[in-house]
Amino acid sequence: MQHVVEVVEHRKGQTRKVTFELATQARDLADRLGGTAHAVVLGSGAAELAEQLKAYPLDAVHVAEDPDVDAYLIDPTIDYVEAVARAVGSAVILVPNTMYGRDVASRIAARLGAGMVADVTGFEVEGGRVACVAPKLGGATITACAFRDGEYGVATVRPNAFAAQSGGAGARVDAIEKPPGRRYAMRIESEVEEASDELGLEEAPVVVSGGRGLGGADPFRTLLKPLADALGGAVGASRAAADAGWVPYSLQIGQTGKTVSPKLYIAVGISGAIQHKVGMRSSGTIVAVNKDGAAPIAEFSDLVVVGDAFAIIPELTKLVEAAKA
Amino acid sequence: MKIVVTVKLVPDLNASKSIDPATKRLVRAGAETVLNPYDEYALEAALQLKERLGGETSVTLLSMGPQATQETLRKALAMGADDAVVLSDDVLAGSDVAMTAAALAGALKNIGFDLVVCGGLADDGSTGGVPGALAEHLGVPGLTNARHVEIDDAVVKVQRETDSGYQVVTCPLPALVSVTMAVGEPRYASLKGIMGAKKKTIAPLCASDAGVGGLAPKTELLRFAAPPARTKARVVEAPDGATGARAIFEFLRERKLV
Ligand SMILES: Cc1cc2nc3c(=O)[nH]c(=O)nc-3n(C[C@H](O)[C@H](O)[C@H](O)COP(=O)(O)OP(=O)(O)OC[C@H]3O[C@@H](n4cnc5c(N)ncnc54)[C@H](O)[C@@H]3O)c2cc1C
Repeated sequence: MQHVVEVVEHRKGQTRKVTFELATQARDLADRLGGTAHAVVLGSGAAELAEQLKAYPLDAVHVAEDPDVDAYLIDPTIDYVEAVARAVGSAVILVPNTMYGRDVASRIAARLGAGMVADVTGFEVEGGRVACVAPKLGGATITACAFRDGEYGVATVRPNAFAAQSGGAGARVDAIEKPPGRRYAMRIESEVEEASDELGLEEAPVVVSGGRGLGGADPFRTLLKPLADALGGAVGASRAAADAGWVPYSLQIGQTGKTVSPKLYIAVGISGAIQHKVGMRSSGTIVAVNKDGAAPIAEFSDLVVVGDAFAIIPELTKLVEAAKA
Repeated sequence: MKIVVTVKLVPDLNASKSIDPATKRLVRAGAETVLNPYDEYALEAALQLKERLGGETSVTLLSMGPQATQETLRKALAMGADDAVVLSDDVLAGSDVAMTAAALAGALKNIGFDLVVCGGLADDGSTGGVPGALAEHLGVPGLTNARHVEIDDAVVKVQRETDSGYQVVTCPLPALVSVTMAVGEPRYASLKGIMGAKKKTIAPLCASDAGVGGLAPKTELLRFAAPPARTKARVVEAPDGATGARAIFEFLRERKLV
């Protein structure tokens, strides 16, 4: 493997920090492999986003503003990524470890006959081979997994794992030619946004998360949101809170939700079930606020405050706001 | 219509999981084997479709793994699946995501299908890569993360979860769907189901019959290690809000987080 190709996730040209983290990491990895660094940007808004990516140290940004990419699920995307990968040659393909990224990764890996490693937090190059560092078994072990002798390898990369650093000479922007003769079957009929505010949950530096202990939807707005705002973070939730309909599933953290690793994770009224733990255990600092000092969350927190969230959180928000002022 | 549900048998959810240093594979001995919980939702979705579609609709389970796990499969048969196929072969041991998807694809081509339903992920450390890769190998549309599935006139319509909401997507059969827990709680097996399951067929399938005798994994585990240990938590009793808030605030200060 020699080159690196990043697949960019965006919505009509709006993207997240992880895009630039991957661009930076693509350069770093390509330098270690003696190859070139590329990004692929597809669909409506791609050209505009490609201009932004020029500020990052890539060799080329490959663009296709094809309406099929937005009208049909995944297939046109995979065709374009395949076209770029084949043109570039032997490469590691990087996608963000998000719902979109995992879909792209599994499809493109199978298309290219490549291995796939998920939730990657680091890369090692040994004798020209690329190994991906990734927590496995819900974070209970940290593994190094190498791609075996294939032409291509695919890694889904955890947001927040790498720094984003602009610089470089300015990538060239290339248009990708549409692969001929394709007909697509999975038509996107409509799209509903339930939590557009919280798009950045995976990359928020601080996550204030609520569980069943909050007892309803309101405390997420009146208690957690002000604290999250004061700390410059986002609101998350346990599955119990999402199942109860207090917050949309897109806020759920855990095995069946999002994996986050912010600098600070504050778990409010969350017991810390294994399925929740695997989605947040690699956070920098974990603070639990719980009535029950014996809740499982205490076993993997840095600070446990045993008390009533409804009394503690508003006071804490005041202290944080006062410190900022 | 023939629906095939892929099911994996995994170590009990609450068993602590580890990797065997010699084989570099997940240690499976000791822990009780259960149906991957996410595959129970896939089966639930398939059974709901069967009820709605009626007629000639059948639900077949496809599991890859040791023959010894058959008893656990009976539980899924008792929930209402019609029969099962177990793809089992020494040459498939140690499969990674890529190899698992390729092997299942071979088996699915062998047994035939109109719709494949998968769980969103496997509990034992897999990462949800199989459904997409499987669709790719089969050359059929792959609708991942569906929270609601309908079939009408050989057209599949799903609501699929996205990072920020959901989208409605349609495609013709044959197709593959992977589901989320929102499709509905898996049903319990009835007494009649449990009795009936004993008579249902669990057919073995070997790798060469599935045309997948020559597969190799595409990744190799080089090393693994425990993550850095967290120091034991500081515990503060907070009889009132101000005490608790101050304790947190001071702690965040110490760590330069505010
Ligand atoms: C297959 C499967 C997948 C799952 N996936 C996920 C997942 O991805 N994410 C996830 O989170 N869960 C998941 N779960 C659910 C998980 O097992 C737990 O049920 C869930 O995380 C519990 O949520 P909770 O901590 O909010 O609720 P509980 O376990 O009920 O805990 C509530 C906590 O709040 C505390 N509390 C109550 N009142 C107050 C108060 N006033 N002040 C302070 N503390 C208070 C209580 O002491 C308690 O510890 C999954 C389960 C299964 C079976």
